[in-house]
Amino acid sequence: MQLVTTLRRITKTALVSLWRNRWLSLAATLVMVLTLFTVSFFVCLMIMVNSTTSMLRSKVDISVYFNDSVSNDQIFKIENTLLARSDVKSVTYVSKEKALEIWKSQNSDNTQLRDIISTDYNPLPRSLEIKTEQTEDLDAVNTFLSSKDYKPLIKEISYRKNKDLVDRLIKITNFIKYVGWTLSILFVVISVLIIYNTIRLTIYARCEEIDIMKLVGAGDWYVQGPFILEGVAYGVAAAIFSSLILYLTAHYSLPAAGNYLGIVNIDAIVAGISFWTIILSQLIVGVVLGTVCSVWAVKKHLK
Amino acid sequence: MTELDLKEKQKDDKKSDKTDPKTPGEDVVIEFQGVTKQYSANIEAVHDISFCVSVGEFISLVGPSGAGKSTLVKLLTCEERPTDGKILVAGRDITELKKKELPYFRRKVGVIFQDFKLLPKKTVYENIAFALEVCDTPDDEVKEKVPKIIDLVGLTRRAFSFTEELSGGEKQRVSIARALVHNPKLLIADEPTGNLDPVSTWEIIELLFKINKQGTIVLLATHDREVVDSLQKRVITMKEGVVISDHLKGKYNL
Repeated sequence: MQLVTTLRRITKTALVSLWRNRWLSLAATLVMVLTLFTVSFFVCLMIMVNSTTSMLRSKVDISVYFNDSVSNDQIFKIENTLLARSDVKSVTYVSKEKALEIWKSQNSDNTQLRDIISTDYNPLPRSLEIKTEQTEDLDAVNTFLSSKDYKPLIKEISYRKNKDLVDRLIKITNFIKYVGWTLSILFVVISVLIIYNTIRLTIYARCEEIDIMKLVGAGDWYVQGPFILEGVAYGVAAAIFSSLILYLTAHYSLPAAGNYLGIVNIDAIVAGISFWTIILSQLIVGVVLGTVCSVWAVKKHLK
Repeated sequence: MTELDLKEKQKDDKKSDKTDPKTPGEDVVIEFQGVTKQYSANIEAVHDISFCVSVGEFISLVGPSGAGKSTLVKLLTCEERPTDGKILVAGRDITELKKKELPYFRRKVGVIFQDFKLLPKKTVYENIAFALEVCDTPDDEVKEKVPKIIDLVGLTRRAFSFTEELSGGEKQRVSIARALVHNPKLLIADEPTGNLDPVSTWEIIELLFKINKQGTIVLLATHDREVVDSLQKRVITMKEGVVISDHLKGKYNL
């Protein structure tokens, strides 16, 4: 019963002093909003970059287009040879009919273009789509196919065309990943220091209060309790604000960014991010930060 | 020391005939034993102070500024620890109180601070209620006692003002009300009339007298000659950190 009364009194004191020191409270909360927002923004960016990279990687393949003079048997032979390689993940044969289907679906909105090719007149070549275990293995496969033995059979290897583009994209995403992680860690360290100092200052501004409370005979909990609760409140408020800002940022900037970068499937990239997980982790991080910093700061004055 | 012990002691107090205030007797509640406080190598605030205080006494601690009165008060509230010597309160050496025991000791002592020490962002009511709340006083008791004591010091009109908005005299009254509200066994008043006009001064002294009659030991540090002379109570005179006189029905003579 006594515990309930004490807790109620501490809570009341905390709420009252949050309101009476509202500018100080606002400042501390804003610093925390900045931290939580920056860190979660980078984390989201990382997740997006990761899924973009893996998407790009899965998209990178080699398509070998065969001359019409080549027999199906020859193509299957090559398919088997490729499958036997340890670095090849899968090989898909695309027949003339399949190629036509793909053509039609790709040009469904342009009937003129679509109808140029039909079952009767089908110049589309047969092809093998080769995927490898690692993006880097594509080079080896490419070299293998470019050898003299196959040259007369092959009309074109698509890899040469988009290799440079893919290489560059992967380099860029890797760069973003390293920079992102470094910046995230740096921001976390800086933010923790700033939050700690902000809370320390808000408490320092009230150290006279702490001394008086002690002189009147208040136990450690009576002195410490309200300050810790205030720290928790900063954390909760900051998590809510930061989540809101993050949501709005994502809501308004993602479609535009998707358009700009020409990524059609922006939803797939964002799919790896759960909004509730973000809110929850922000709440946890905010509350822990607020509590730990308050405890540290008050402890100094209680000695 | 429990309530019962105190009553017991008061009975003894009436029986015994105390003549020399310096002799520790049965009813001694506070005892300073050769207390010295040195703030730094050159500054010695009090030197080798020894005296006893019995149950129900009203003591005036007088002396010019810098005589060591405030240091003595701070030693008695454990705000400072002595460099040397012992301070026994109810048989316990308070200089050896553990950090955890300190709040419990302070709740039994009421202190009227020279600089008021009021919580700045709290109202008069909250300041006084705080002293009760930290002693785990139930809500209904807080609600009953606080308005009463506010009325007693004549601040009902100001009960919900913030302490920053009060005049010096009003702050002093809040400080007094806070020191009294939890019925302390020992009331220490450090210059409680320093900021008051003569009428208020006498009101406050009346109040201290009343508290003392109910059995609370009152230790009044002051340099108000008129007050001390009219009290007709024990006077301890200090000068340059030492006790120079200690009389049962003393006067302010310096």
